[in-house]
Order: sequence, then structure tokens, then C-alpha cells
Amino acid sequence: MKRFLTLALALCMAAGGTGLASAKSIKIGLMAPMTGSWASEGQDMKQIVELLAKDINDKGGINGDQIEILVEDDGGDPRTASLAAQRLATQGVVAVVGTYGSSVTEASQTIYDDFQIPQVANGSTAVRLTEKGLKYFFRTCPRDDEQGRVAAGTLEKMGFKKVAVLHDNTSYAKGLAEETMALLKDKGIEVVFSDALTPGERDYNAILTKMKSAGPEAVFFTGYYPEAGLLLRQKMEMNWNVPFLGGDATNNPDLVKIAGNKAAEGFYFLSPPVPQDLPAQKAKDFLAAYQKKYGAAPGSIWAVLAGDGFLAVTAAIEGAKSTKPDDLADYMHKKMKDAQGLTGTITFNDKGDRVGEVYKVYKVDAEGKFVLQP
Amino acid sequence: MEEFFQQLTNGLAVGGIYALIALGYTMVYGVLKLINFAHGDLFTLGAYLGLTLLTSLGLSDHVGPFTGASILALMVMGLVAIVGMLLERTAYRPLRESPRLSAVVSALGASIFLQNSIMLIYGAKFYVYPQDVLPRTTIEIFGVYIPLMRILILVVSLVMMAALYLFTQKTRVGTAIRAAAIDQGAAKLMGINVDRVIMLVFLIGPALGGSAGLMVGLYYGQINFTMGWIYGLKAFTAAILGGIGNIPGAMVGGLLLGVIEALGAAYISVAWKDAIAFVVLIAILIVRPKGLLGERVAEKI
Repeated sequence: MKRFLTLALALCMAAGGTGLASAKSIKIGLMAPMTGSWASEGQDMKQIVELLAKDINDKGGINGDQIEILVEDDGGDPRTASLAAQRLATQGVVAVVGTYGSSVTEASQTIYDDFQIPQVANGSTAVRLTEKGLKYFFRTCPRDDEQGRVAAGTLEKMGFKKVAVLHDNTSYAKGLAEETMALLKDKGIEVVFSDALTPGERDYNAILTKMKSAGPEAVFFTGYYPEAGLLLRQKMEMNWNVPFLGGDATNNPDLVKIAGNKAAEGFYFLSPPVPQDLPAQKAKDFLAAYQKKYGAAPGSIWAVLAGDGFLAVTAAIEGAKSTKPDDLADYMHKKMKDAQGLTGTITFNDKGDRVGEVYKVYKVDAEGKFVLQP
Repeated sequence: MEEFFQQLTNGLAVGGIYALIALGYTMVYGVLKLINFAHGDLFTLGAYLGLTLLTSLGLSDHVGPFTGASILALMVMGLVAIVGMLLERTAYRPLRESPRLSAVVSALGASIFLQNSIMLIYGAKFYVYPQDVLPRTTIEIFGVYIPLMRILILVVSLVMMAALYLFTQKTRVGTAIRAAAIDQGAAKLMGINVDRVIMLVFLIGPALGGSAGLMVGLYYGQINFTMGWIYGLKAFTAAILGGIGNIPGAMVGGLLLGVIEALGAAYISVAWKDAIAFVVLIAILIVRPKGLLGERVAEKI
């Protein structure tokens, strides 16, 4: 009996010992579209954040604590997102990374604010998200008004005088279209056509025919890549050789798959740099590790920006030496200067927007590759 | 004027597909007085099966593009017809004596079941058809551009519809279908096997829907698991517009809906396209509550 007790005691101590060594873990939430039409973005976001977290954990964690990632699926849908946000908020996360679409992020914003959990969005570019003055909201992606400026500037630089603008009535695409049109008017460029298509349809010939008869010298489409791919393909089939430009939501390799190389060739789009064009050494190392682990590079920059959101949160935990929401938010707003992210250095302004970061212009070449324009 | 004709051909191409799907709604309604909400998802299934067969068999490498596409179409139609028949057995036949509402709920459930099954089997991402299955040329007539594929879709749709019409009008089996549509009890007394008639309806309708899915895949290239919803809704509208239960009505309704949409987009607003189509539908139903080709052909015999 005595021997048994000793054994039990020893076992307890051993168990207790390992328990102590792992210390307490810091829970960080990731809200991402794991299903739905943006599922591929969400899968990349998860893989990137998990790889970064593993890297930090292997090096001993932050301030000695290990990180645990809790993933919730927002389905790319505002209603699902509000449920996902509530689930994450009740699981004791100190901060949340995500999510992709602006309308989806908007549905979760106030929930995190109510629970006082800092949120760092990665693909949500609508201007008003940070204009509401929410204390706990940040984002690593640039805003649409910046994109609108670059779009209008690019159209002017390319020498177009008559332009058509097409959106898809989502809050993101409509906002960008309106920003751009206002700027084009100031530059004296005529908008000869502006309207919205219905996303999810297959046949856009009616819209293309109507646009063609308005006689624009270029078309700026602010919607997402599935529709952009179909537009390019159907435009080619009606023998219309007008240059097409897209907003940053068309930055996805699947665009070329849908349109086909021939129809996609010559398509311009605006975007923060695609992953393989990221200048920082940290990004190059990370992408190499990512490629090694998952066998392919991340599809788009938006997923990489989720990695930046995660790095911003961990930098704040490390810098503030705290996991209290107020400390983290204060640190990110005021004290964080040039934290090292994958897409460059990260600094937030008072509104929670990232400072710096510029849109680039890309062109699709004959092989369907995205080529950075000088 | 060029723009008008261009929009007309745009509308006819979309309308041909609506019409083909509408036939499935109209046939099932004609015989069972049931709206088969799962029909749009059978259409999606056709698109997915087509892609799977296409990529796994490599048909067009062996027998030339058009023969390959025809064999493919037959296989897809056969497989979707089998699924349609199973659907009737499991979701509709047990409820045939129940109140109408039960069958409607069962149809909605079947739609959700099919859509989710497709998502779980194939994944949520959209798929892309290979682009070189059929030759992609565009012909120009007086400034109006018509892709060859579009003419092909319209011709195939019209041939299928005409064949179906002749089948129901001129053959013994077709007469049985029409008899069952008028009065199932009386048809039974006349020695018609009503169960077999219903099964036949659930073979033909889904086969046509599946072939429409295949055509959408071949022509537009991009498919995903939710595509059946919007096409199903439009085709259902087309069936009502033409007079539900009436085969030529489904054809007319489908083509008309496509053209209304295209012209609405052209001359009013692109964003209001769908709203315009539905306003026209409501207007026509106020004037002619039975739809354009109102009385069911079956009752005229």
C-alpha cells in the first residue's frame, strides 16, 4: 500500500511538473472564411497564422507563455460571422485576427468591441470600418480611399479620357467605385458608364454589350475575381478589345483559371504586393518555410496580411508585457513603432489604420503570371 | 440597332438555358401538382458530373469534340436521371397521399440535401471546365457577335424541347403522361400505371436539367455548388410565366425571360435587371393569371 501511494505521488508530481513547464497558454482567435466562396483565402489564413504561431512557440513563446490559436469559421457571411465572433469572445481569447471581407468584418466589429477584445482585420478595406472610432479595432490592410486614389491616378497616367466603372453592389466594391468616380471627375476624366452586376450569375453579356455601346476607353471593375474572370472571358468572345482594370479583390490566381490565359492576358489590377514580390527578408524566409510545409505559396496577399495581424498582436503582448485588452489596444495605438511584419513594418494610427503601405499596379502576362508594373 | 440585336441574342442564349430547366419544373407540376425545388440542384449536379466525366475520361481526345460532347451529354443525362428517380422514390412517393404542404417541405429539404452533398463531395471552391473541349469561335453578322457555342446551346435546347413535345403529343406513353396529368384516378382505371408515369417524368425532367448544367459548364466555364439556386429560381419563374404545366409554355417563358432581362439591362439599368424581369412577370400574371400559354395542353384533348 505504501509503495502504491509513493508511486501515485510520484505520478502526480510528474504530471504536475509537466503541467508547470507548459505554463499557461495565451489564446489568440482567428476568424476566417473556412467555407463559402472565399474558402481558399480562409484556408491560407489559417495555415499562415498557425505556422507563425508554431515558430514563436518553438522559440519559447511570448514572455515564456505558449500561444494557442482558436479558429472559427465565418463562412464569408455576415450572419455566420456574428456567431463566430460570439463563440470566440466567450472562449477567453486575448485578441482576434481576421477577417477577409469588409461586410463580414463589420458584422463582428461591435461584438468584439463590446467584449473588449482587440481585433486585427486583414482583408477588410472599406473606409468606414475605422471611421467609427472603435477602440479595439485595427487592420493591416490599406483602405479603399487609398486604392481609389491609386486607381484614378493609374487611369489618368495611362491616358484614358472616357472610362466605365462597374461594381457588384457589395459594400466594398460599391465604396471603391464611388471613391474612384469622384476622383476621376476631379481629374477631368469622363465616366461614361457606371452600374452594378449581380454576383453569382454566369452570363454577363448583357452588361458587356451595354458598356461597349457607351464607348469607354477602359473599364474599371471593383468586384471580386470570380466575376472578373467571367467578364474577361465573355469580353474576348464578343471581340471587344478594351483594357480592363480590377480592384484588389481580383488579385487571386483563380482569376486566370476562370478566364483562361488568353482572355486574362493584359488585365491590370491594383493590389498591395503579391506574396512573392514582398521585399522584407522576414517575408522571404517565411514564404520558404511555408512552401516547404504546405507545398505551395499562399494564393493572395490578404492571407499574408492575416499573418501581419498575428505578428502585430504578439508584438503588442511582448511589448506591453500584458494580455489585458486595454494594455494591448493602447500599445498598438500609441507605442508600437515599426513592428516587423511580413509585408513590411507595422505601425497603427489613432483610428487603427496601418500607416504607410502603398498599392502597386500588376498586369497579367501571356502565361497568366502577375507581373509587377514599374 | 446593332446593340438591340446583340442584346436579343444575349437574351436568347440565357433564355434557352432557362427554358430547358423550366421543362423539368413544368412536367413535374403538370403530373404531380408539385414544385420540385430540388430541380435547380439536379442542374448543378449535371454540371459537376459533366466535369468529373470530362476530366476522368478524356473523351474529346479519342473521338473528336462534338461526338465527345454528345457522349458526355448522354452520360450526364443518364446519371442525373437516376438521381432524379431516386429522389422521387425517397422524397416524394412516400408523401404522395399526404397534404400538398408536406411534399413542398420535402422538396425544399431535398434541395438543401443535394446542395450540401455536392459541397461535401466536391468542396466549396468553384471548379473550372477545361476550355478547349469545344471549338470557341465567334461569328460576326452585321456587327453582332455570336459565339458558336451560343448557337449550339440554343439549337440543342430547341431540339430537346421539340422532341419532348412530340413525345408527349404523339406517342402512347406521352398520352399516358397527359392522361395522368388530367386525373390520376381515372388514368388508373383506364389501366395506366401511374407510378411508372411519374417515374418517367422524374427521369425526363432531371435529364434535361442535367444537360442544361453541362451546357452551362461547357460554355461559361465556371461552376460552383450554389449555382443551381439562381438558375432554378429563374427557370421556375419562366415556367410560371409561360403557364406552369405546359411544355411549349416553358419554352416561351424561358426565352422571353432571358430576352426581358437582357433588354431590361440594356435600356433601363443593369443593377435593376432582375427586378425588371419580376415586375414583368407580375404584370403578366395580373393580366393572364394562368401564364402566357394558360390552359394546360393536356386538358384540351
